[in-house]
Amino acid sequence: MIFQLKDLQNLLYRLITAPSGVAEGLAAEHALPEGGLGTLVDGDERLSAEARLDVYADMYFYRLLEVLKEDYPATSAVLGEANFHNLITAYLIDYRPCEPSVQGAGKFLPDFLRLHPCQELPFCADLATLERAIAEVFCARDASLLEASEMNTLQPKLWGGVEMRRIPASAVLRAQWRTAEVLRAVEEKRDWKPPRRERNWILVWRRNSRVSYREIGSSEAAALAMLARTTEFAKVCEVLAKGLPPDQAPQAIRDTFARWLAEGLITRAAGGKRNHSAPDREPCRG
Amino acid sequence: MDWYEVISENFMVAGGRALEVLAAVRDRHPLVLHGVSLSIGTTDPLNRKYLADLRTLARRCEPAWISDHLCWTGVGGRNLHDLLPLPYTAEVVRHVSQRIRKVQDFLERPILLENVSSYLTFPDSTLSEWEFLRAVTEEADCGILLDINNVFVNAFNHRFSAEEYLDAIPVERVVQFHLAGHSDHGTHLLDTHDHPVREEVWALYQRAVRRFGAISTLIEWDDNIPEFGVLAETAERARRICEATVGAGMTGDDLSAQRLAESAVSAHHRP
Repeated sequence: MIFQLKDLQNLLYRLITAPSGVAEGLAAEHALPEGGLGTLVDGDERLSAEARLDVYADMYFYRLLEVLKEDYPATSAVLGEANFHNLITAYLIDYRPCEPSVQGAGKFLPDFLRLHPCQELPFCADLATLERAIAEVFCARDASLLEASEMNTLQPKLWGGVEMRRIPASAVLRAQWRTAEVLRAVEEKRDWKPPRRERNWILVWRRNSRVSYREIGSSEAAALAMLARTTEFAKVCEVLAKGLPPDQAPQAIRDTFARWLAEGLITRAAGGKRNHSAPDREPCRG
Repeated sequence: MDWYEVISENFMVAGGRALEVLAAVRDRHPLVLHGVSLSIGTTDPLNRKYLADLRTLARRCEPAWISDHLCWTGVGGRNLHDLLPLPYTAEVVRHVSQRIRKVQDFLERPILLENVSSYLTFPDSTLSEWEFLRAVTEEADCGILLDINNVFVNAFNHRFSAEEYLDAIPVERVVQFHLAGHSDHGTHLLDTHDHPVREEVWALYQRAVRRFGAISTLIEWDDNIPEFGVLAETAERARRICEATVGAGMTGDDLSAQRLAESAVSAHHRP
């Protein structure tokens, strides 16, 4: 029976998730027993077996559509209702939800948008990447922060050897379009303008439950990218100083580092050189 | 509010606001974990990562109990994010109850399983829904979260007697009630948790309280959520029904806790 139960569950899964609905799913189905769906699922004069499966098919799609709309409010707003609906229809064919939490269902939407760019709105992949990063940072691991007062207890000559890293609840994104402006406009319920195509970096981080984001320059991005791993402060300084006149570098480094500490971006490396664990990025391809 | 129920999966995260809020609530109130993705009826292997995350969450917030649904939610490693019914047969009873025992061993505590709303049944079924629920929970030695609205919805959708259903469920296994609203689609009722509890469901609840006692009751309201006063009044109405039906005495939460701790639910998983 368990083998049969497995067959039944696989069949129902295929029909409920059939992109064009249960009827077309049934037409394409080769594993139906003689006698059709009615031998597996009861129907009556109120609802046929097919209509009963349709109830589940509708709930499957619209539940996920609503969740993804909430996860990607700006991408959804920019694309418009019909385009977003079509996008999610196509996305769910290629990327079937496979995580216990529905919050994982939209994890690969930025990847999908990169593979299938929207011709009229080519910045949408960058925008979705930013929205996904915000969602992931929101529930990333907590960490104890490196405070300025702790650094100040050290003699300046020892600073270079201090090992530190970026908090787990942070991300450094490289974008081809200036999409932070678009997200800000949507969040503030202002009209958004198509962003300029221009390479840029965006820092996303969480402090006290609040997720923030800001555009950053290339050297700050390189230094923060380096800080995804435990790194000595001296090496971070080298990266931050690149391209700066020698007389301006010390002040620029001081300002940047002070800002990071004030923003709660840095944690002291503790218990060896453990780096952030890589997030689970294995998709359930369709 | 006497206690809170939270969706387990929403808190199976590494950090951030969700866990802060959970800790703040837990500091002040008892809470229970209610999962939606255990998928106890799937033919996939048990998801060890999911169970480990659930155990971690349980250790973090020390819930009064953990519940999920008697259903399957996906197959082949994919998730439908819905609660699908199973064929009601002796073989499926064995399949599910073996898995429940493994889950209880892993979590080192008994769990409750909830009867789900459903929109289809299977010609292969040889048991009624209530016979299936009873057989699974007795063979697995677990508790029941009895959703009164789901009994009502299924009684309409599958044309059976809701009263007969309640009368067949073993009293000693029922630890918690759910109440909720649903939407009427003419041909079927849909368990949408977005309406007030219907009068017929209140009547069924009163019958359930008479049979099972004034155990812990939770009002589920997930969409079109009204002002807090409406929710509080709904909870108060449930409390009044309990008091009018069974009188003063052991409170619902105490009775639920006692029933969970008693050997009737699980001798070897006593918390």
